[in-house]
Amino acid sequence: MTWLLLLAFQLGVETPLADAQEEARAQGLMREIRCVVCENEPVSQSTADIAVDMRRAIRKQVEAGKSNNEIRHFFTDKYGQFASFRPPTEGFWLLLWAFPFLLVGGAAAFLGMRAFGKRKPGLKPLPDDGRGPLEG
Amino acid sequence: MIAELGHLLAFLALATAAAQSVLGLTTGGEATRRLAVATGMFTALAMLTLIISFVRLDFSVALVAANSHSQKPLIYRIAGAWGNHEGSMLLWCVIMSAYGAAAALWMRADRLRDRALGVQGLLTLGSLAYLLFASSPFLRLAVPPLEGRGMNPLLQDPAVALHPPFLYTGYVGLSFVFSIAAAGLINGSIDRDWAKRVRPWALTAWSALTVGIALGAIWAYYELGWGGWWFWDPVENASFMPWLVTAALVHSLIVTEKRGSMAAWTVFLAVLAFCLALLGTFLVRSGVMTSVHAFATDPTRGIVLLIGLAIAGGAALALYAWRAPKIPPGPEFDPVSREGALVLNNLFLSVGAALVLVGTVTPMFAQALNVSLSIGEPYFQLTFAPMMAVLLLFMPLAPMSAWRKTELKPILRRLAPAGILAVIAGGFAMIVGGWQPWLGFGVLVGVWVIAGVVLDLVRRAGPGGAGRLFKLPLAVWGMTIAHIGIGLFVIGATAETVTRSERTFPLQRGESATMQGWTFRFDGVRQVEGPNYNATRADITVTHDGRTDVIHPEKRIYPIAQSGTTEVSIRKTAWRDVYVALGDTIREEPGVWRIRIAFHPLIDWVFGGAGLIALGGFISLTAKLRRRAPATDAAAATTPEATTETPPAGAPA
Repeated sequence: MTWLLLLAFQLGVETPLADAQEEARAQGLMREIRCVVCENEPVSQSTADIAVDMRRAIRKQVEAGKSNNEIRHFFTDKYGQFASFRPPTEGFWLLLWAFPFLLVGGAAAFLGMRAFGKRKPGLKPLPDDGRGPLEG
Repeated sequence: MIAELGHLLAFLALATAAAQSVLGLTTGGEATRRLAVATGMFTALAMLTLIISFVRLDFSVALVAANSHSQKPLIYRIAGAWGNHEGSMLLWCVIMSAYGAAAALWMRADRLRDRALGVQGLLTLGSLAYLLFASSPFLRLAVPPLEGRGMNPLLQDPAVALHPPFLYTGYVGLSFVFSIAAAGLINGSIDRDWAKRVRPWALTAWSALTVGIALGAIWAYYELGWGGWWFWDPVENASFMPWLVTAALVHSLIVTEKRGSMAAWTVFLAVLAFCLALLGTFLVRSGVMTSVHAFATDPTRGIVLLIGLAIAGGAALALYAWRAPKIPPGPEFDPVSREGALVLNNLFLSVGAALVLVGTVTPMFAQALNVSLSIGEPYFQLTFAPMMAVLLLFMPLAPMSAWRKTELKPILRRLAPAGILAVIAGGFAMIVGGWQPWLGFGVLVGVWVIAGVVLDLVRRAGPGGAGRLFKLPLAVWGMTIAHIGIGLFVIGATAETVTRSERTFPLQRGESATMQGWTFRFDGVRQVEGPNYNATRADITVTHDGRTDVIHPEKRIYPIAQSGTTEVSIRKTAWRDVYVALGDTIREEPGVWRIRIAFHPLIDWVFGGAGLIALGGFISLTAKLRRRAPATDAAAATTPEATTETPPAGAPA
C-alpha cells in the first residue's frame, strides 16, 4: 500500500503544469537552478533524484504564483548562491554584470575620441581588388 | 620492445628539439630546418608505437592496461591512444612538432623562419620534457594484467574520437603562431611580410579549433542525453577563449598585411591566443573546476602547466613590452574605413574573450575564498549574446567599406534590401515562434548578416553575370562562406535556445505520450549485448502525420568501466530534431521508465553554421597557399615600395 502511494507520488513528479506560460517559466528556471549533487548541470538536465525533487519544487512554486526571484531565493537560501547559475544582481556583483559593457564602452569611447580627434580631412578611399597588399 | 622504441624515439625528439631551439635562435640555416623535420618525425613515430601498443592490446604497457580492453572495437582502441592524459600529451607533442616540421618544409628560408623554428623547438622541448619526466605513456608494468581496465565509455564515440586531434590541431597550432610572433619580436620585424606569413598558420589553427569545438558540441548534444550543445561549461569556455582571440587575430592580420597598420596589436593577439590555450589546458587538466567534460584531472599536473604558462607567457610579454614601442604605427586611416570596422571587430571579440575569461575563473576564485557562487548560462546569455549582436549588426558594413576612408551612405543604400529582408524575417519568426522578442531579434541579426554578405559578393562580382562570381579571389569566397556560417549559426542558436521544448514522461509498457502532434508509444525495454557493453534498449513507436516509425533509445552499461552512457534516438525533420532519451526507472517501480522527449528546432543550422565557419577558414587558407608563388614571396621580401606594382601571382587575370 505504501509503495502504491509512493508510486502515485512519484508519477506526479514530472507532470508539466497545465498553463503553458507557467510551464515555460518553470522550464526557464530549471535551466538556471543548479543540480546540487551533479558535476555542472542545471536541474533541467539531470536525472538525479534530487533534481527531480527540485524540478517538482520549482513547478509547485510557479503554480503557487511565486515570482522568479522568490523561487531563485528559495534555492539560494537553502544551498547558497552556488545553486543558481545566475550570479546575484545586487551590490558588488553588479560589477560582474556591468564590466563587459563598461569595458567595451570605455574602450570604444577612448579609441573613438582619439581617432576622431586627430581625424584628417585629406584621406581618400583606396580601391581594392581583394588580392594583393595595398599601398598608399 | 615497441614501447621502449617509442620511449627512445621520444628521447631522440627531445634531443633534436633542444638542438633545433639552440640553432634556430643562434645561427639558423639548413641545419635548423632538418632538425625541425626530424623532431616532427620522431614524435610522430613515437605516437605510432603507442598506437601499435593499443591496437595489439599490450597490457604490459601501463597506459594500455589502464585505458583499453580486449572487447573494445578497433577504432576505439586506436582513439584510446589519445583518450587519456599521457596519450593526449604525446598527441600534443606530435602536433606541436608537426607544425615545426611543416614550417620547415614550407616557409621561406630566412631569419624569421629560423627563429620561429627555434622558439617552436623550445616549446616542443618543454612539452616533451613534461611528457617524458611527468607523464610518460611508455612505462611498463612489472606484472602485466590479463585484461585491461577499459576507458571512460563516454569517450567511446566517433565524434569524440576525432575531437582531440582537431582540437589540438587548433589549440597547439596556436603555438606556432606564438613562435612566429616571438621570432618577429626578436628580429624587430613585425611588418606586412610578417603578417602575411603568420596568417596561414593562424587560419589553420582557427579553422581546426572551430571543427574541434563543434565536434565537442555535437558529442554533448547526442551523447550526454540532455540535448544541450553548449552550456558555458568551464571546459567549453576554455576552448572558446582562444577561439575568440584567434578570430580577432585573423581579422587584424588582414589590416596588418594589407595596410601595415595595427601591427603592435596584432602581434599581441598572436601571443595572447597561445597563452589562453595554455590557460585553458591548465583549467581543464588541473581539476581546479568542476565540469561535465573534465577528464584526467590532477592538481600536480596543473602546477607544471601553470609554470609553463608563466614562463612562456611571461617571456613573450616581456619581449613584447621591449619591442612593441618600436613597431611603426603604419599608414593613417580614417575612423570610418575598413580598418576602422576591423578595429571594431577586434574590440568586441577581445572584450567577449575577457568576459568569458572572467565568467569562467570568478567562480574558482570565489570557491578559494569560500564564497558560494556559480556563473552559467543566464549570465553569458545576458552579457555575451548582446555584445556579439552589436558586433554582428556592424558586420555587413565591413567588407563593403573601402580601405583608408569610406563613405557610409552608399554602403547603407546598398545594404538597404538586406535590412528590409532582415526586418521581415525577424517579424515572421516572431509570428511563427509565438511572440518571442529574442527569437525575432536573433533571426533579424542572422538574416542581416547573410543577406549583407551576399550583397557584398554581388557587388564584388559587378555587372556581367554569375560567371564573374567564380573569378573572385578565393579569399573573398572564404570570407563570404564563413560569414554566412555565422549568420546561420546565430539563427539556429537563437531558435534552438528560445523555442526548444522538452518534457519527461513516466511511461509504462503500452502507454503513450503525446507532444506537439507527435505520439510516442512505449513498447517496453529489452536487454541487448554490445561488444563491450550491455544495453537496455527501449522500443518506442512514433506516430506523426499518419507515418509510423520505431525508435530505440538506449542506456548502456559498460561493466568493465562500471559506468554508463545514454544513446538517444534522433528523428530529423526539415526544421527540427525530435530527440528521445531513455531515462531511469522510477525508484519504486521498475516497470515505469522516464522517457525524455525534446524538440530541437534548427539544431542542424547550429552545427552546419559552425561547419561553414571552419570551411570558410580553410578556403581562405588555400587562397593564401595559392598565392605563395615564388615571385610574390621574393617581392614581399624586399622593401614595401617594391610590392606596389607586383601583380598578385596565381590570381586569375
